[in-house]
Amino acid sequence: MASEPTNLAISPAFTFSASTFQKLHPLEYFRKFASQGVRPDGRLLSSFRPTTVHYGVITTADGSAMVRMGGTTVVCGVKAEVAEPRLHAPDQGYLVPNVELSPICSSAFRPGAPSEQAQVVSEQIHRVLQESKVLDLKELCIEEGKAVWSLWVDVVCVSYDGNICDAALTSVMAALSNVRIRKPTYEEGVVKVAGVDLLDDENSFRLNLARTPLSVSFALLDTDLILLADPNSAEESISQGQIVITLDETGQLCAVSKVGAASSSQQLLKQCIERARERSQELRRIMNQEQ
Amino acid sequence: MASFVKQTFEPVVSTNLYPRSQIDIYLQVIQQDGGMLQACINAATLALIDAGIAMTDYVCACTAGWIEREAAIDLNYIEESSDTSEVTIAMLPKSGKVTLAQMESRLHVDKLEEVLSLAGEGCKQIHQVLDKTIRDRAEDLARKMAA
Repeated sequence: MASEPTNLAISPAFTFSASTFQKLHPLEYFRKFASQGVRPDGRLLSSFRPTTVHYGVITTADGSAMVRMGGTTVVCGVKAEVAEPRLHAPDQGYLVPNVELSPICSSAFRPGAPSEQAQVVSEQIHRVLQESKVLDLKELCIEEGKAVWSLWVDVVCVSYDGNICDAALTSVMAALSNVRIRKPTYEEGVVKVAGVDLLDDENSFRLNLARTPLSVSFALLDTDLILLADPNSAEESISQGQIVITLDETGQLCAVSKVGAASSSQQLLKQCIERARERSQELRRIMNQEQ
Repeated sequence: MASFVKQTFEPVVSTNLYPRSQIDIYLQVIQQDGGMLQACINAATLALIDAGIAMTDYVCACTAGWIEREAAIDLNYIEESSDTSEVTIAMLPKSGKVTLAQMESRLHVDKLEEVLSLAGEGCKQIHQVLDKTIRDRAEDLARKMAA
């Protein structure tokens, strides 16, 4: 690809392979596809990647689920532990969600303390669970003031290809619906959770989810005002903004978030909410199929 | 919250004028009575202008919510803690563009539009206050330098 010495009238033109072009000019590469109304992976601008949900993937956990959205795979495990209740809520248990983005899923992440992205996603899940009152925490009480169930909800990303928010929240909802906790006995200050027999409706209880909020994310390319549904990691790195719409099963909004990318948004938000409604129904169908 | 502030200012601050440098924004909450994110964004706007950092426009933020069948702006802590929905908007007043829209509680879709437009109005009011403050300060400084 080097040019010939200057005494030649013509020097050979630069030619790139597609993957080289993508590395050098990612935005231009993307625009060539977007001008035709498609994306580099062949989807339409408003299409979502194929999604699968599997339940009970971790037998040692009290509840678990694995969600795949295209190349993004997350596994969520829920573990119930007897703990002392928090001082301000002696008759309520609590949920502790945590999202882990480690080098196993992508070379973009470094080992060590949770990155900002992981913390933001964990916090988002915590807020949705809290504000939408997904679970009546009083159901997790064993003995008021003394012992309650604390649920450790751990989401581990196994493979990262963008849109961790949707995959993580979907896996949390799926895992929570899969949880079975053995009924404890409480006497003289000691909680007994015993038994080697298999869990059934007699000796265990399931969680009663008041609602199941699911989120739908879009990436925003400001310069072209292009909206991409379910961005993969390449699209996330070239986009300037993100819109996340969280809806429950009745179609009511649980959370709306729009960050980055200045835009006159009323029309855009409406469009997103419409698309998010359809997608949320589709996701629920997929979740119910597997159960 | 820090992540939101960062993402709100990223498209607005002209970082291409300050190559190979980092701009740190430190926000200290001294007293809380609702609307923390909006206060942080407004304070950061004033601080950045005071520091002389080039921005394409002011960033004005305002909250709005739905209280008992009425939309209201700038909810305080008591109103926030009750079971109402609250939306925070950060807007660029000149162009009317929205850089941040944040809502974390349940709201009916039909009500969202009204609440968003009310928050937008609030942002314009905040812009007038911020603008007046900046201009007064600039005149003050100019007077002191001329003396």
